[in-house]
Amino acid sequence: MARVEYDDVWKRFPGSDRVAVHALTLDVADGELLVLLGPSGCGKTTALRMLAGLEHPDGGDIRIDGRSVLRLEPKDRDVALVFQSYALYPHLSVRNNIGYPLRVRGLTLAQQAERIGRAAALLRIEHLLARRPGQLSGGEQQRVALARAIVREPRVFCMDEPLSNLDAKLRTHTRTELKALQKDLGTTTIFVTHDQAEAMTLADRIAVLDQGRLQQLGTPDDVYRHPANLFVAQFIGSPPMNILAAHRHDGELVVEEAWRIPAPAVRDHHGGTALTVGLRPEAITIEQDGGGPGEVLVSEPLGSEVIVNVKVGSALVKVRTAPDVRPGPGTRVRLAAQPGEVRLFDPSSGTALD
Amino acid sequence: MTAVGPQAAVQVDIPPPIRPRERGTPLEWALMHLAFVAIAAFFLAPFVWLFAAAFDAEATAYIRVPGRLTLDNFTYIFRELAFAKALANSAIVAGATTLLVVLTVTLAGYGLSRLELRRKGWITFAVLLLQTMPLSATMVPIYGLARLLGLRNSYLGLILIHAAIELPFLVWLMKGFFDSVPRQLEEAAWLDGRSKLRALFEIVLPVARPGIAVAAGLSFISAWAEVLMVIILVDKQDMKTVPLAFYETFRTAGGYVEVQYGLVAAMGVLYLLPVMAVFFATRRLMVRGLVSGTKGL
Ligand SMILES: Nc1ncnc2c1ncn2[C@@H]1O[C@H](COP(=O)(O)OP(=O)(O)O)[C@@H](O)[C@H]1O
Ligand SMILES: [Mg+2]
Repeated sequence: MARVEYDDVWKRFPGSDRVAVHALTLDVADGELLVLLGPSGCGKTTALRMLAGLEHPDGGDIRIDGRSVLRLEPKDRDVALVFQSYALYPHLSVRNNIGYPLRVRGLTLAQQAERIGRAAALLRIEHLLARRPGQLSGGEQQRVALARAIVREPRVFCMDEPLSNLDAKLRTHTRTELKALQKDLGTTTIFVTHDQAEAMTLADRIAVLDQGRLQQLGTPDDVYRHPANLFVAQFIGSPPMNILAAHRHDGELVVEEAWRIPAPAVRDHHGGTALTVGLRPEAITIEQDGGGPGEVLVSEPLGSEVIVNVKVGSALVKVRTAPDVRPGPGTRVRLAAQPGEVRLFDPSSGTALD
Repeated sequence: MTAVGPQAAVQVDIPPPIRPRERGTPLEWALMHLAFVAIAAFFLAPFVWLFAAAFDAEATAYIRVPGRLTLDNFTYIFRELAFAKALANSAIVAGATTLLVVLTVTLAGYGLSRLELRRKGWITFAVLLLQTMPLSATMVPIYGLARLLGLRNSYLGLILIHAAIELPFLVWLMKGFFDSVPRQLEEAAWLDGRSKLRALFEIVLPVARPGIAVAAGLSFISAWAEVLMVIILVDKQDMKTVPLAFYETFRTAGGYVEVQYGLVAAMGVLYLLPVMAVFFATRRLMVRGLVSGTKGL
């Protein structure tokens, strides 16, 4: 059980002019599952490896349960890391792979066998114990790696994109199991992924990173409904939030010079009357009455929903509709925005204005 | 459709697909196999001579069917030429050299692969540069140094010089092996609670075992066969190693007395056998090791 704090942590790799992790301040509560989300190269792995002791930060502090771990060797931090590549020991059987951290801790053979058995049962890999890692499929290796991490009951789990080598079906399945397992064990967990859907389903809270900087920290709902800036708005959601140019006029917003919506109240900003509007595809409704500012380009049926692509002014707006609404190309439509779901951003800095 | 400029050229350049051909005409088949046999015979001939002459009472410098099969050549080299002592000397020198070399190249290769050193590129290339220097150019200083340090006619001198000869290449080779062992393996062991040294012994070295076998095999074979440094450093009868004894049996006789080809061949056989034994003992690991190890080079 542990609480993890990153306190103004910096990391720049020698010989690189880019800062890999930029003033990261982050707090993970005891028992929480925090997802570090961001595009490839944004510093997720580096942040994780600094907690595990595999990289040393240039500045700042990392604490577990209030005590700095920077001076501790990896072996003394009691952090388990599931590598993206799994890093199973190829010359040891699955049983000895899982048992390795127990052997290191000097448990008796009986204690080891008991704990290995429990972890293997939990992850349903009992039938694989005698095999070598080379004889396992990707999904099986992933389970063995997880078993090796949980068997020793560490203070913190770190997982670096552990599902990315699995095929789509196994990935969604394992995702669900993993979340249940984490809640069961109650171990503080930092889970790294570049997949926003994975982040949304797993996380208690999501930390969105871009170019080494923390963009937003919040619950999945928070991050989805109230993105802190345009980066988060466009990184999360599929299709992502519609980002449109607008200006204020007579208490209304004129979007893309064509579509008028009631302006929500926002705090002051420096952009004059120009604004950037963000609208989730499901926050827009379509009315087909033969007129209106929008022109349908194409409708993409996805079974449970339809994504209608509408041209408004010079912009393309994606609208999520019920499966039976499928306007054909060229249809003129009127769009309406759900009043509570209109997000405004400062056009120059991209930060949210609400 | 008219083919225009570059596109036409590209189309012309595409080679026709290679079709698996039938076995060819009987003449082609015969010529091919004749060529194989000729090449094989060319490489095998010296070994045929060696094994035929060693058991021949009247061996010559040419391959012939032994007139009378005998073991006299072998008994003679042990009784009269003290070949057992030469074998023992070679075994001691090659064995100790192998131990020293394996220990050193394992640590040095691991260091070059994993540690963050300034000027690591320079060090690595300096090692390779050493390897390319012709050793015979440094014969005189080596002789002088050995005399100064009292290392002539001693096991220690031979072991040190043989190890020095083999180190550069094998350090380079082992660095390649360690480069091909994923870093995450030992990082995982650290996080599992192991110190860096024990992670090296329990995780990295077992995974790099084929590489270590290659280094051991190569260093044994080359220390066993090395002759130039032995000539420089040894002039006492009881410090001779196998290749030197072998060489002298051939040389001293030349010119004055008729060369005893049977004795030379008998020594040659015993010179060769341990090399073959080492090769066959480690061949699986060697092949695996050389294939995976050279990837990292
Ligand atoms: N060992 C390293 N040496 C130099 N640069 C590195 C090293 N590891 C990562 N980087 C750089 O640091 C940045 C962050 O990398 P990383 O943490 O691996 O990103 P992510 O896991 O989010 O894809 C990248 O620009 C990457 O190129
Ligand atoms: Mg990564």
